[in-house]
Order: sequence, then structure tokens, then C-alpha cells
Amino acid sequence: MGQQALNGIFVGSIYALFAVGYTLVFGVLDILNLAHQAVFMLSAFLALTLVATAHLPLGAAMLVAILAAGVLGIVLERIAFRPLRGRADSNISGLISSLAMATVFEAIALQLFGPDISRFPLGTFPDRVVRIGTATASLLQIVIVGVAVALMAALSLLIARTRLGRQLRAVAESPRAARVLGIDVDRVIAYAFFLSSALGGAAGVLFGLAFNSISPDVGRSVELKGLAVIILGGMGSIPGAVVAGFALGLVETFTVARFGSSFRDVVSFAVLFLVLVARPRGLFGQASVREG
Amino acid sequence: MYRFHLPVLLPVAVAAAALGACDKTASPPAEGNAATVKIGAALSLTGPAASYGAQQKAGLTAAVAEVNASGALPVKLELIIDDDASTKEQGIAVFQKLINRDKVAVIIGPTLSNTASAADPLAQQAGVPVLAVSNTAAKGITDIGDHIWRDSLTEAQVIPGAFAKAQQKLGFKSAGVLYGNDDVFTKAGYDVMQKVLADLGVKLVGTQTFAKADRDYHAQLTALIDAKPDALVVSALADNAAAIVSQARQHGWTGPILGGNGFNSPAFIKNAGPAAEGILVGTSWDSTSQSPANQKFLAALAKQSVNPDQFSAQAYTAIYILAEAIKQSGGKAGRDDINAGFAKVKDLDTPLGKFSFTPARDASHQPSVQIIKDGKFQIVQ
Amino acid sequence: MDALRDLLLTYETLVGYVGINTLLALSIYATLSAGQLSLANAGFMAIGAYTGALLTLRAGLPFPLVLVAATLVPALVAVPLGLPVLRLRGVFLAIATIGFGEVVRLGFVNWDYVNGAMGLDAIPQKTRLWMIWLAVAAALFLFARLRGSRAGLALEAIREDETAARSMGIGTTSHKLAVLALGASLAGLAGAFEAHLTFTVAPNGFAFGRVIDMLVQAVVGGTLVFYGPLLGAAFLTILPELLREIGARAGVAPGAFRPMVNGLVLLLVILFLPNGLASLPARWRARRGRR
Repeated sequence: MGQQALNGIFVGSIYALFAVGYTLVFGVLDILNLAHQAVFMLSAFLALTLVATAHLPLGAAMLVAILAAGVLGIVLERIAFRPLRGRADSNISGLISSLAMATVFEAIALQLFGPDISRFPLGTFPDRVVRIGTATASLLQIVIVGVAVALMAALSLLIARTRLGRQLRAVAESPRAARVLGIDVDRVIAYAFFLSSALGGAAGVLFGLAFNSISPDVGRSVELKGLAVIILGGMGSIPGAVVAGFALGLVETFTVARFGSSFRDVVSFAVLFLVLVARPRGLFGQASVREG
Repeated sequence: MYRFHLPVLLPVAVAAAALGACDKTASPPAEGNAATVKIGAALSLTGPAASYGAQQKAGLTAAVAEVNASGALPVKLELIIDDDASTKEQGIAVFQKLINRDKVAVIIGPTLSNTASAADPLAQQAGVPVLAVSNTAAKGITDIGDHIWRDSLTEAQVIPGAFAKAQQKLGFKSAGVLYGNDDVFTKAGYDVMQKVLADLGVKLVGTQTFAKADRDYHAQLTALIDAKPDALVVSALADNAAAIVSQARQHGWTGPILGGNGFNSPAFIKNAGPAAEGILVGTSWDSTSQSPANQKFLAALAKQSVNPDQFSAQAYTAIYILAEAIKQSGGKAGRDDINAGFAKVKDLDTPLGKFSFTPARDASHQPSVQIIKDGKFQIVQ
Repeated sequence: MDALRDLLLTYETLVGYVGINTLLALSIYATLSAGQLSLANAGFMAIGAYTGALLTLRAGLPFPLVLVAATLVPALVAVPLGLPVLRLRGVFLAIATIGFGEVVRLGFVNWDYVNGAMGLDAIPQKTRLWMIWLAVAAALFLFARLRGSRAGLALEAIREDETAARSMGIGTTSHKLAVLALGASLAGLAGAFEAHLTFTVAPNGFAFGRVIDMLVQAVVGGTLVFYGPLLGAAFLTILPELLREIGARAGVAPGAFRPMVNGLVLLLVILFLPNGLASLPARWRARRGRR
């Protein structure tokens, strides 16, 4: 049991990190960014390339990949979201333009890295096993959970304490009011995309390290899990996404332990569905969502 | 009321015209041109089975070059390889193109049993013989019809011998099984494994599943290892297999791991690294065989700097079987001639050993067991 | 003549798929016409496909009856689904229905009677091109008649402003349920056609990506007019095949080329043709008028 709890926390930390970025953009723009998973994937590939061919140390490679993912987020916003702003159906058209960008990103990865699974070179991370009570975890797993938690804490601080954080909250509340207050809304949205994509990229690198298999379609499996997490946590709620990410990871692993692996995804999506029908606000959301 | 706008039809018309134009430039040489025999090959060059597809491509091209150079046939072989992307849908599309557009005389492949069960009926319907070179699901392949043949052994032929030998060496009494449940080949492998383990008196202490797209197997492996089996048994494609084995070792699993046919790939060893050491796999090809046919095959693949495995061996063999079939039907190479010729192939010398088809159009020869040692497959004597 | 016949044989599935995809895009268009983004249609399609395949394989029913059942059963599922779910709006409805679709798919994965994830094979090929296109014509006719009718106006009112529509006395729930059920029927019928065209059904064919394809085809074609989904489905079904031909001819390796062009085309349409391909002629006319 202890071991399964560790497994759940481990995979949950990656879900949470992925979903925090996802939900950040939704909170600010009310738009689902379906290219988030592609940024996740490209960032993982970039880190892998830097380690495998440029022989950068892992920490440096990860930093570069995260920053690059953030920049990619700004590019994404410029191309796929800004031109649609103000359009009546920006909800749906944003969904589709981000999907188009995801397809393009996946094509780029396919061209550069091929369709097969790529792996970090053996020994990228020291292979050490740590005992925690009756359970074992690799050093890598512990570092991954630590990095994910640290990044999420940093984001929470940024939102709560800094000027940019206040501006983000203002734009999320009402872009029009924020503009009246003299906030440069376009710039704040660009920052939101930078932060969101950087976190998504970090999740990608950690995922790549954790399971050591990266392919151009690797983000797709995480994408739906991310959706479940942000619904569970309440759309736009960052603490909600964190809690829900860990919760989903734990629910999944305990489903496997109790009922067998065939039911893992059934349980996650059934929970998602029931939460939406019974309590659409999610665990932490406040906004009324029944009336668009 | 509602006028039909021109643009409703325009894209369709444009596309039809474009396709028509393509077809004209691509139109095959006039029929009855007996100088070349078109061989279609539907291989998984991309997707989860890509590592097998690459081996098969190498085996096919090497053998075609040899047969053409030898002048043993009155006709030249022309190989048309198309990618089925490891999916049923793409496999069907490739089959339709090979049958109707390229008008091939015979189709080799497709790589996965999954794809074969969906695409082979098309060839059967059109009267095009298919020679499967890697489909190992016992049911649902050659029983599709009298035009479907294969030179690969089924899991049911390989696994019993391999597991019996492994148990005799290692003496395990209980096992935990992990298998991919969304693929015909890995699921069929599991069905056989389950039966063989029961026959050997091995107790199943746990069974877990995964899907091809999964990357995280920690939860399944923990559940299996918690049940304290003597051995782990895994039915998976090479890509999944490498990750599963690595993650099992991360959990401190040091006991034996028995793999299905999906482990039979140098790509698996490369990707799993040291985690692959000591893993046991059944195989239909004895890489150490000293027979002239096998030595010739090894030399040919070495020339392409490909590290050969069972998949390239079976693909290579297929071309020699095909050449023999054409010979048997007096050098004629129509679809029916080849299909009739296959039935007459008897005790052909191939890298797989002496080859004949069974009355059910399946292969039948002795399987071997190999163990991974120092990053290489070695035959267990 | 032979060349023409071969061409038709080679592209038979393609022509069939344009029709099937049109039905699927129309199934999304049905709910969009009431302003509802429902993405449950891959699930409905799966239900239709499995209903059809099972009735053919296990019950041996004649094909017309099979098609009727594959049309009705998804609609029967849609009503109890719609009652709670249609209270949700916008992205929330979309996500809830994605959840439903995944639950349906995973239900089939775990259902041994239908062979789990491997699906059903050896389904007799009973779908003929004329059947598909007859269904497409009927569906287009239905949507064309809807335009300007009482029900059509009610749907338009709901799309513009649901609260206002309700205060005008329009039964918003019943109208929304009706289009959800209609969409479910179309998707189910398309599923049955596909199962009896490709010999197989398997749960993986009804994953999240499938419903995204439907949505993209509807939107690229244009969701303001009933023939938009036809345009979108035709364009996006034929384009990849054309690209494959072009790629092969130009010696470009398969793989990245197709998704790249697909993605770029999608992006260009959504950015510069907000009302889809169906709005192109009006744009041309406007441009010519200006000159």
C-alpha cells in the first residue's frame, strides 16, 4: 500500500504540474489551450537533445527547455489566440486554432525526432534506490516530486505576492475592468502564456525523465488527464489543480491495486463526469459555470 | 428554395481531377508484362511496431536483390513497400492501393496481426495471395481464407517450448503476468502464456494489463511484485517492453522475466540497456544455425549493417519462398500461379530451417529459446 | 474504362469516408446549431457501430434493420445523458461530454463479450456507397428544411441567447435534447456504416481524436449553413490522400509532411475564414463587387 501511495504521489505530481499551467490560461482567458500537450512534448524532446547530443548537464538542459517552452507559449498566443480575441465564438475557435498548432508542433517533432520512442541516454540520472518505510523510491522519483512541488509553490507565490500576480488576477476577473485600471492586458496575457507553457514544459521534461520514453504523441495521454484534473480542481483554480492532480494520481494507482489496471481510466473519467454533473464548480472553483 | 452552390461540388471535382491526373502518371506498365513481378509489402515503418518494420524492410530488400542478381527466375522481382503506420486503418488503405492501383501479384505483411485481421480479408476477396512474415496470433490470420499464408510461427508454437525450458532451468513455481490488452498480438500472446503456465503447474499470483499508449507501469508492477511471484511474464511490443523492464528493475525486481515474441528485437535490448540482462525469450529463428542459407542471410544483412533478428529472417525467407513458388508454377507469376505455387513449396532451405507450409497454410519448424547476455541474444542450448 | 474502374476501386473507401465523415460532421453541426458544443459523438458513434456489428454478427439481422437499430440506440442513450449534462454551458459541456465518450470507449475496452480492446473482426462488408450517400442526402435535406422553420428559428434563438429564448417561451431543454438525440443518431448511423465498410470495429477508433476530427471538419466547412459540414468533411478527408500522393511523387518521406500541411490549413481557415469554407463564395462575390 505504501508503495502504491508513493507511485500515486509520483505520477500525481506530474499531472498537477501539467494541469496548473493548463488551468492558468483558462483562468485568464476562459479558453482551453489544446496545444499545451504539444509544448509539454517539445520541451521533453529539447531537454533530451541537449543532454544526448549537446552533452549539457541535466539541470542546465532542463532550465533551457523550460525557458524555451515559455517562449513557445508566447509564440503560440501570438499566432493562435490573439487574432481571435473579441470574436464571438472565441471559445470554440480558440480550441481549434490551438489544436491546429498542436498538430503543427507534433509534425515538427515527427520531422526532427522520428515517430519512434526516444530515450535519455542510460545513466543520465544516477540510479539510486531510497527506502521509505516499507516502500522504495528511486532518487529520480523523489527529485521529480520535489521539483514539481517547488515550481507550483513558486507560481502560487508569484500570483499571490507580485505585481504581475495581481495583474493576472485582475485580468482573470474582468479584462475590461483591468484595462480601465491601466493594465496592459495583452502583455499580461502573454505573461500568462509564458508561465503556463514553462510549467507545461517542465512537466514534459519530468515526465520524459520519469518514464524515459518520449515520442511525438506522448502529450496526448496526459492531455485528457489534465482536463480531468482541472475540472476536478475547479476551472481556473491553481490550488484546486494541485490537489486534484495528486488526487487523480492516487485514485489511479489505487484503482490498479484494487480492481486491476483495466479500470484505471474508467474510474478517472467517471469521476470527471460525475463531478461535472453533480458539482460543476469542482472542488475549489467559485465561478458560476451553468450560465456561460 | 435552397440552391446548391457550385462550391459544394468544386472541391470534390478538383480532387477527383487531381487524383485522376496522379493516376495517369502512375499507371503501371501494361498488364501481361511478365518481365517484372510486383510484390507489395505492407510494413509498419512508423508507429509502435516500427522497429520490426525496419528489420523486415532490410530482410526483403536483401533477398530481392539476391534473387534478381542470381537470375534463378525468368522474371524480375519488383518490391513496392508501403507504410501501414502500425494501424488497421492505414493498413486497409495500403492494401487497397497495392491491390487496385499497383496491381501487385502478392502482398507480404502486414507487420502486426492486428492489421492483418482487418486488411487480409481485402486481399482474400480480390484473390491476391498474402504471405504473412510476422503475424503470430494463432487464430484469425490464415483461417481468413485460402489466399492467406505465413512463414512465422504462432505464439502457440513458440511459447510452450520456451517456457518449459525456462522453468526447467530456473524452477519458478509462481508468476505474475503483465500484458497489453489493446493489441491482437500481445493479447493472443497472453492467452497462450496463461494456458502454458497452467500446464506447467505454475501458479498465477496476479494479472495486470496496459494499453499501447501507456508510459507509466509503476502501479501495475507494484501490484504484481507485492504478490511475490517467482517470475514475471510479460507480453508486450518492443517499445513498451523496454520501458516495462526498466521500471520493474527500478522497483528492485531481480527475479527472472519471461518475454513474448515482442521482445525479439535488438531495439529492445538497446532501449532497455542493462535492465534487459537475463531476460528469456522464445524465438522462431536460431541465429547460431550454421546452415548455408542462414550464413548467407547473416552475410547479406551484415552488408547492410543491420543487426539481424527473427523479423528480418522471416521477411528474407518470404522472398525465397515466393521465388520457389514462382519456380513451382513454371515461372508464371500471376496471382493464381503464386497462390498455387505456395502449396508446392516443400523442404526449402531457408535461414529458418527446412521450410514447408502446413495444410492450414501455416509455418512449422522447431522454435528455440534465447537469453539476453552482455547485450546480445544467445541461444539457450 | 478499366482505368476508371480501378480508380474507383482504389478510392472507393475514400468516397465512402467522405460520406461517413459528412454524417459525423453533421452530427456535431446538429448541436452547434443550438449553440451547444457537445463532444459525446465519438461515444455515440461507438454505440452505433457496436450495435450494428453485434446485430449483424450475433443476431444475423438484415442490414436495413441493423441500420435502423444503430440509428435509434444512440438516440435512446442521448436522452438520459442530455438531461443532466445539457444544463452545463460552453467548455464545461464540452468536457463533460468528452468524459462520457471516454467512458463509453473504455467500457468497450473492458467488455469481454465484444473482445475488449481488440474489437470485433470479420464483419461482412454490407455498406454500399449509395447507402452512405443516400443517408447524407437525407440528412442534408432535413437540415435544409429546418432552416427557417419554427424549430429552426427556435434553435437560432437559443444559440443567440438562451436566457432570452427561454423567456420568450421557447422550450430550451426539449429543443436542446432533440438536437443532441439527432446528432447521436447521425453519429450512430455513421458508425454502423464504417463497421460494415472496414470489416472491423475496435474501441481505439472512437478515441478523443475522433470527435476532434468531426468538430474540425464541421468548423472548417462552416457551421452557419447546413452544407458547411459536407464541404469540411470532403476537403479534410481528401486533403490527406492528396498530400500522400503529392508527397510520394515529390519524394518526401511519409510522416511529418501530412500533419504539417493539415495543421497549417486548419490554422489558416480558422484565422482568416471564420465562417469556414462555406463563406468563400460570398467573400469572392464581395471582392468582385468592390472592384
